[in-house]
Amino acid sequence: MNPDNNKPVESEEFREAELSSEMNVAKVHGSILRERAEPRDGYEPISLWLITLAFGLLFWGGMYLVSHSGGFQANVFNSNLVAWDGAGAAAGKGPPDPMVVGKRVFTQYCAVCHQTTGQGVAGQFPPLVDSEWVLSREWHGDNHLVKVVLNGLQGPVTVKGAPYNNAMAPWGGVLKDEQISAVLTYIRNEWGNQAPPIPVEFVAKIREENAARTEAWTQKDLQAIERVVVEAAAGDAATEPPAAPAPAENPPST
Amino acid sequence: MTSLAKSLNPKNDPNAGTERFERAEIDASARIPVLVFFGSAIFWLLIGSLLALIAAFKMNIPGLLDSEAWLTFGRVRPAHLNTVIYGWSSAAGIGVGLWLMARLCRVPMMHTSLLIVAGVFWNLGVLVGTLGILAGDSRSIEWLEFPGYATPILFIAYAFIGIWGVIMFRYRKPGHVYVSQWYLLAAFLWFPWLYGTVNMLLIWQPIQGSAQGAVNWWYAHNVLGLWFTPIGLASAYYMIPKVIGRPVHSYYLSILGFWSLALFYSWNGMHHLIGGPFPAWMISASVVASIMMFIPVITVAINHHMTMRGNFEALKWSPTLRFTVFGAMTYTLVSFQGSLMAIPSLNTLTHFTHYTIGHSHLGLYGFFTMMMFGAMYYIVPRLVGWEWPSASLIRWHFWLAAIGITLMVAALTIGGIIQGFALYDPAVSFTNSTLFASPFLWVRGVSGILLTVAHVVFAVNFVMMLARAGGPRDEPTLFAPHAPDKEVAAV
Amino acid sequence: MNRLPLLFFGIFITFASAWAGLVAYPYLNLGRMLPITDEASGDILPPPISGLADAGQRVYAANGCVYCHSQQVRPAYLSTDIAKGLGGRRTVARDYIRSKPAFLGTMRTGPDLTNVGLRYAADWQHRHLYEPGVVTKGSIMPSFRYLYRMQKIQGQPSANAVQGLQGPHAPPPGFEVVPTQQAVELVAYLLSLKRDYPLPEAPQEEVP
Repeated sequence: MNPDNNKPVESEEFREAELSSEMNVAKVHGSILRERAEPRDGYEPISLWLITLAFGLLFWGGMYLVSHSGGFQANVFNSNLVAWDGAGAAAGKGPPDPMVVGKRVFTQYCAVCHQTTGQGVAGQFPPLVDSEWVLSREWHGDNHLVKVVLNGLQGPVTVKGAPYNNAMAPWGGVLKDEQISAVLTYIRNEWGNQAPPIPVEFVAKIREENAARTEAWTQKDLQAIERVVVEAAAGDAATEPPAAPAPAENPPST
Repeated sequence: MTSLAKSLNPKNDPNAGTERFERAEIDASARIPVLVFFGSAIFWLLIGSLLALIAAFKMNIPGLLDSEAWLTFGRVRPAHLNTVIYGWSSAAGIGVGLWLMARLCRVPMMHTSLLIVAGVFWNLGVLVGTLGILAGDSRSIEWLEFPGYATPILFIAYAFIGIWGVIMFRYRKPGHVYVSQWYLLAAFLWFPWLYGTVNMLLIWQPIQGSAQGAVNWWYAHNVLGLWFTPIGLASAYYMIPKVIGRPVHSYYLSILGFWSLALFYSWNGMHHLIGGPFPAWMISASVVASIMMFIPVITVAINHHMTMRGNFEALKWSPTLRFTVFGAMTYTLVSFQGSLMAIPSLNTLTHFTHYTIGHSHLGLYGFFTMMMFGAMYYIVPRLVGWEWPSASLIRWHFWLAAIGITLMVAALTIGGIIQGFALYDPAVSFTNSTLFASPFLWVRGVSGILLTVAHVVFAVNFVMMLARAGGPRDEPTLFAPHAPDKEVAAV
Repeated sequence: MNRLPLLFFGIFITFASAWAGLVAYPYLNLGRMLPITDEASGDILPPPISGLADAGQRVYAANGCVYCHSQQVRPAYLSTDIAKGLGGRRTVARDYIRSKPAFLGTMRTGPDLTNVGLRYAADWQHRHLYEPGVVTKGSIMPSFRYLYRMQKIQGQPSANAVQGLQGPHAPPPGFEVVPTQQAVELVAYLLSLKRDYPLPEAPQEEVP
């Protein structure tokens, strides 16, 4: 039981005397007296399966490390590339699908208010699903839709018969024409909506015409502007001269 | 009492008397410094628990205490983290580590005034640092939020302690070096290296950009694995064989466990940043190292289990053993969980969620804190010369803590997985990901109350102990009386 | 394993291996990374941030925003970050060279902020910081109204008063809420968070 070497009893007595000047025997209290000896080691061998497991893991680890380290290059971030020459993956693709790009833009910028379901929030943010604003029904045109995205919308508006009075931020300074074209195409063809896409050139033209505008639109302002719808087949905005857009947009309304 | 008389009789054990005087001498020399650290640790445990409750309930009630800057969640949460890491866990670990080292090196502590000064400085550093965080000087570097005017205080305090511990090892009595001593020596050497490097590279001469993230998580994960884990394992390796009176199962497993921990653990850090802006090889190296951790963890689990085999009955009466074995089993569980979390396809789901918080609490509380409770229940009677005044308080402590941590981890794990699925799905709005997790956060808050009460109970028992409340006892304070024909418990 | 020199050597060498890989290597390779110049446009990437935004990083750190908000976009093969619109491409080391520290974050109790500067303008940020629960229904973000000052309107309303505030702490008539310097810096920092430029090591996934 003892890790110490055997010592003769005399040294124990000597030790007792040596210590008694510093501490009472009584202070060697019960908890020490009843303690077992200090812990010691047993010498059972390591089992074979543990050694096998260890080597197995080492082997797997080595394989994983070599195949997922991008050649140990500092500028390779994709662990799926075994890129010994340090090239990142930049596959050239065809023209991007507006529904994919549009969905991404929508989720990033629009869904916060209009929700990923396009239903908006009752009383706060108008829905886009089956909305006359989105589908260019009644007095609403594609040009109105683009203008709203470019410059924002404020004041009382009616969407699907329900009143709203909030402020939509302008996105013309944040989103590029390609993004606006994509996201509008997306919202017009998602959630059961169906409408022709909005071409990039159309967005560019409206942006150019609106360049002087700094204020957000109101429903009244937009109603004063004649409706323009992009023909899906022709796609040529030149055949649809908007009715004098410049004078109608200038007078600022609240 | 017959066995006591038997063991006192030199005829039965010629060296028992010497050895016991030796230990008594060591314990007497260790009394003040270790109690300073234990007392500080318990104080910070209470503060840290209170801060935790505030932070936890703020997640369910955002308007709670939200008018003052110093109480905002972004300050209370790191204040909680730092007080429980540096105030409670480190101070308890230092106290336990120093006592274990002294006992195993079989030398009484010399120049203990240095340690006491270090303890005072340590507390000062934690106090200044915590107040600094609440005042708005947090670095927002996880696990290193203490401002630059507090960290040097801790570093200097630690320098005293670390140097002291290594020197004590150097001047140990000749003979076999026990496994706990390797772990403690390593912990005393690794911590200053970690703390010094990270102070240099993140606070005093900050490096730029995402490199900070790498160094940050190298540090944070290694504080857990190369400072707390070795102290916890050293305690388990001492307390388990000591209480049940059996040798550790295998010296060879101890060696394998120690060196594989040293080699693999330190590479794990980047698994906190999978998918992050780092070269692929760094992330992959950490993933591999995290899986390799199965080796030391299984090794240590076998070693502990085979040592305990046939003696599980002792868990019924020994507080030390019960807390220690709870901690040791949790160590195995949390390490397995951690290895699996590092697999990139699983990490995709759990990263950024409450699941990670559940994991970290399972490790730091379920393993390390419970282990320290067990060690303190063993050590304090030997320092104070008194037995724990109240067995029922120990019982309350154990059950409140065990149920509390189980509830907390279960809530955060389930809530985190649900949150993870919600975050993964682009069709689910962000707000819903927090909404779905919300009921689980309530459960977490309640479990935090249980833990806080457990800590108060422990603190009361500790203070009563220092005040020598209750009458003197001959027998140790146990959960249940031992069987009449067994020896007096060796706790 | 009984001798100090052997133990010390083993303890040192195992630790040093990871120190070399996870500390020294990033220090040398990532920590001294420089911005690059874009060939097509001549822009310096990542673009420098204004002094105000730089000061805003301190406010971000002081208030612990990182404990709820991450700032990293993970790649498509490992997550749905790009599909969710957190960014057009994953973030790489060079994106963070102007950050002190890089607020990568490890929790998404709140949304990721890598590209938040692309999503919201200053007035939204001020309104949101003042009372998040009103601007975003169901938000658990705490209010940072202690970064703002409620004051009586002296004559004309201040130019930088926060507009459109609603909810329990909205200013009563005759009062306005004005951002303190810290709020201004913080919002400038948030507006600077844009990683929509291409980098050679991580090109945009799609055009635009």
